[in-house]
Amino acid sequence: MTEAELDPVIHSASRLRVVATLAALERGDRISFPRLGKLLDMTAGNLSTHLRRLEDAGYVTQTKTHVGRTPATYVELTATGRLAFERYTQTLTELLKGAQQ
Amino acid sequence: MDRHEAPGGASGRAPRPDADDATPLDPREGLAIVAAQQRRVRDSDIDSRVLFGTWGLAWLLAYGVQWWESSTSPTGTATPRGGIAFGVILLVALVVTLVHVARAGHGLAGTSQQVGAMYGAAWAIGFAGQGLVVAGVVKAGASPEVVAVVANAIACLVVGMMYMAAGALWRERAMYVIGAWMIVTAGAASLVGMPGGYLVLSLAGGGGMLVGAGISALYRRRA
Repeated sequence: MTEAELDPVIHSASRLRVVATLAALERGDRISFPRLGKLLDMTAGNLSTHLRRLEDAGYVTQTKTHVGRTPATYVELTATGRLAFERYTQTLTELLKGAQQ
Repeated sequence: MDRHEAPGGASGRAPRPDADDATPLDPREGLAIVAAQQRRVRDSDIDSRVLFGTWGLAWLLAYGVQWWESSTSPTGTATPRGGIAFGVILLVALVVTLVHVARAGHGLAGTSQQVGAMYGAAWAIGFAGQGLVVAGVVKAGASPEVVAVVANAIACLVVGMMYMAAGALWRERAMYVIGAWMIVTAGAASLVGMPGGYLVLSLAGGGGMLVGAGISALYRRRA
């Protein structure tokens, strides 16, 4: 197990936080953009940049809907994204174990 | 795990994090970030300590008042004054619950919200059923004590079943166990009869939920 195996899309503190937050939701749940930003203490501009990168990798989907009359964006981790996150955390755990031996 | 790369070799190394994330992630930090965000999400979710605490206190007070009032009334059942106090206390608890649940679900959509809506509706349907059964018992000419036993036992039974369902749905063991305890309480209160049954509902029912609040607080601290 080497660092080279770490997914470059997730291997950044900010994007790891975004993906970890989305992965902590129930499977099949979507979260609104403002609430996600609040859970991350991230500005809207910062968050959209990271979400775009994750969307390009196929790890998240963004859906635009309306809540009443106001437009709302909902973010969801895709099956690919969840798998990538699980693989990433598993690699971290193994790296840590390797370092301790 | 063999590494034959030249020290400091730039090619073939792990991709570096973005410029805006200047500090590279080591495994321990990475896992700490994951754990912190999981905690953050959990803390924004429905808190069983709040629900257990609110309802435990409400039952303790509401049924405590019922018992106090009924033990001095000639029929040995609830008085209008006790009934009003009971209703007001439970209404306050209901409002606290609805506000808490709405806040937790705000900005979320999908599976868990659908499950939550169905679960919430089950409470309303259960208590609508309880109301109809009580109306039927009154219509059949039951005595005040029979009405009081049936009304409170069925309410307590509904609470117990719903808690057990919640425990199973959201894998909260404390919720499940307290649900089973509430069903035992419903039976015990019925067997004791009124007015003593009110005291059973207050102490065992309300007290049981407060113990539940304590257990979930312990679980949370350990998690």
